[in-house]
Amino acid sequence: MLLRLRAILDTDGLTDGLRTSHLGRATYRRDASFLNADPLAVALPRTVEQTAEVLRACRDHGIPITPRAAGTGLAGGATPTGEAGARPVVVSVARMDQLRELDVANRRAWVEPGLVNARLGRAAAAHGLRFAPDPASQIAATLGGNVATNAGGIHVLTYGVMSQHVLAVELMDLDGEVHLLDGRAPEQGGLDLRAVSVGGEGTLGIVVGACLRLLPAPPATGTLLAGFPSLDAAAATVGALVTSDRLPDAVELMDARAIELVEGYAQAGYPQDAAAVLLLEYEGLPAGVDAGAATAERLASEHGATSVVRAADSDQRARIWKGRKAVAGAIAKQAPDFYLQDVVVPRSRLGEMLDTVVTIGERERLTILNVVHAGDGNLHPFILFDRREPDVLDRVFAAGHDIVETALRLDGTVTGEHGVGIEKRDFLGQVFDADSLAVQQAVRDAIEPTRLANPDKVLPTTVGCGEARMVPEGAWV
Amino acid sequence: MTTSTSWEPADADEMVAALADARSAGQAVEVRGSGSVLDRIPGGDEPVLSTAALDGIVDHAPEDLTVTVRAGMAFDELAQELAQHGQECPIEPIVDDGATVGGRLATGLAGPRQLGAGRVRDWVLRVRFITGDGHPASAGGVTVKDVTGYDVCRLMTGSWGTLGVITEVTLKLRPIPRQPAWFATETPDPTVAARLYRPAAVVTTAERTHVLLEEHPDDAAAQAADAGLEPAAAPTFPATARAALDPAALPGFLAELQHANSSPEGAALQVTAQGQLGLCHLDGSADALARARSVVERHGGRLLVLDPALGLAAFGSGHAPDAMTNRVTAALDPDGRLAPWRWER
Repeated sequence: MLLRLRAILDTDGLTDGLRTSHLGRATYRRDASFLNADPLAVALPRTVEQTAEVLRACRDHGIPITPRAAGTGLAGGATPTGEAGARPVVVSVARMDQLRELDVANRRAWVEPGLVNARLGRAAAAHGLRFAPDPASQIAATLGGNVATNAGGIHVLTYGVMSQHVLAVELMDLDGEVHLLDGRAPEQGGLDLRAVSVGGEGTLGIVVGACLRLLPAPPATGTLLAGFPSLDAAAATVGALVTSDRLPDAVELMDARAIELVEGYAQAGYPQDAAAVLLLEYEGLPAGVDAGAATAERLASEHGATSVVRAADSDQRARIWKGRKAVAGAIAKQAPDFYLQDVVVPRSRLGEMLDTVVTIGERERLTILNVVHAGDGNLHPFILFDRREPDVLDRVFAAGHDIVETALRLDGTVTGEHGVGIEKRDFLGQVFDADSLAVQQAVRDAIEPTRLANPDKVLPTTVGCGEARMVPEGAWV
Repeated sequence: MTTSTSWEPADADEMVAALADARSAGQAVEVRGSGSVLDRIPGGDEPVLSTAALDGIVDHAPEDLTVTVRAGMAFDELAQELAQHGQECPIEPIVDDGATVGGRLATGLAGPRQLGAGRVRDWVLRVRFITGDGHPASAGGVTVKDVTGYDVCRLMTGSWGTLGVITEVTLKLRPIPRQPAWFATETPDPTVAARLYRPAAVVTTAERTHVLLEEHPDDAAAQAADAGLEPAAAPTFPATARAALDPAALPGFLAELQHANSSPEGAALQVTAQGQLGLCHLDGSADALARARSVVERHGGRLLVLDPALGLAAFGSGHAPDAMTNRVTAALDPDGRLAPWRWER
């Protein structure tokens, strides 16, 4: 089997298409989550044809595959586990990273799955266009991964999640056959299988190409930073903003701990005495942007904001966003480890949710920072810890679990943009009833009948957990 | 349309029972909302499962920008309710034809503002439905962001009643634009779209190109002046057929259509295009539309004919399901109880 894979991958004098050594496998044990497992081997095809041959070889031997790109996922979706302990072959699409076609006239791009999100953004910007989905990991995350997780980002409130920007997907099945799941025509000519493949997390096959929608870059942008004396005041302002007559294009909330941490690291000019800040952005034509920004200033003041600043120029705008984007970097200086959660609640429950996260942190004696896509009700609590502290992982996972349970209790859901992977899989029984889960399983099996594509992910299995370990490798401790 | 059997269940439980009735009688059913679309495609006297009695708003949460409604509620009634709160869901049908909310989802047919607002599927947060084998299920959730499980919500949208009976829908909302205004060019000029920032609609008729601007009035005025637009009435849309294709293929399709149209027998074809979307609305004789269908299918698109009197199939070969589609359909409707004849009509 490994010989067959090597023969497929090491062609034209290249010898790095298959990694089987302990060291070669080690960096593919996990994504950006804590979940890790040992793959059988790592395949790094350079072409769609090689990918097809790799999948056929795996199918012939009944070996599962775990698709992977940059590995920036946070839910264990790219962790190579198999049912009943079968070790999968990791199939990385990272080397298929070309922008196949930038179709400026029709405002769309055909991309290979390994193309990094930010690279598409730069290529589009040269033509006055943009690619809207902007997950925080966009400088490393690939578009194939963004498709597979139905990624979100900061501007989801008005632009929508990844699916809204995916016109077509080339999905390869385990026979190596490529299916063009096409939504380029304005109305469905049958079932929208494209929709299911977006967010399929590698369980339906491998995304080997996609056609993505581009939008014109906005002529004007208004960015505001508002400080609040309490989380509740900031949350109430969010409620007022989304019911005002113009939706902001981004509404980000950071709590006092997050402000303190990033300010010491990035000097973004956030008010140090605030219990929370809101970062607001309006994009579009100038009068609308001005009107929106004026409304936001008024509503923030009415809800007790202690400071409201509108960026005067692009430098100041960049500085305001620098604080938001520096969160992970700032944390790295403060604590050796963090566990990043991803839950969603209806916007009207945001204040209640934030209060509960604070309580959970106090109870588990953990520092938790709240960074929130507040306009979407999407919370990203960062749980800080040092794994050398005895028993700390138990408290971290207990806190994470409670945060998810709280979101469910408030009519929310377990993941807004990171995906289910392994991390959230066993919560699905709480999200869906048995019939609804059966529908999910039936759809999965209909699209990928071999059950070899990323088994053990997304849906709870009756077979039981694979070999993933929540505890980091020994070498880390 | 006369029918041999019909059910009009009052809630989801009764819907399950009605579906069980049909199953035990060995019958497949047509799920019908107001009939605004179904009555316009060829039908037999199949048993009808009506959603008409599933009416009304279940929950409107203005601060969450969401509304949950029963599938049989008329879309325009919902729009009126939402407007009282300054909100909307911009997926209205192309003409106000009494469509139900469930019907809007089931067909997924583009509305007049799809260019700016996105597709029907992008406004659907949660769907409750009964599978073909009689199980009540749901997909999605009431939050505006949700990647929990496979996106069965979008899958249900545009499935034309072949996967499940939609009983309840949660939609995403937005503020109503304050002063939407239609403008038009003096002569047809679809390229005007490229000179505007994200117009809500661009519609080209034989006489002119209509543009809907929903921005701040000052911005709309500036855009209109720059692009040489004058205030105008909203366009009207031919309603006999709609051609949907990749927008990149549209110019070729239109050129070929115009060529056919210039011949005496093709002269009766009226075409209004939402060009940036790749959508054309057509009126014409059966012959003209049959020719239009062969042209659009040659360009990789599809023609939906919405007039049974013409003797043309509604869907045509451009809609023929592939193997994966058949497997997914069978997964939710294993015995073929839900309009198994759909794509052949």
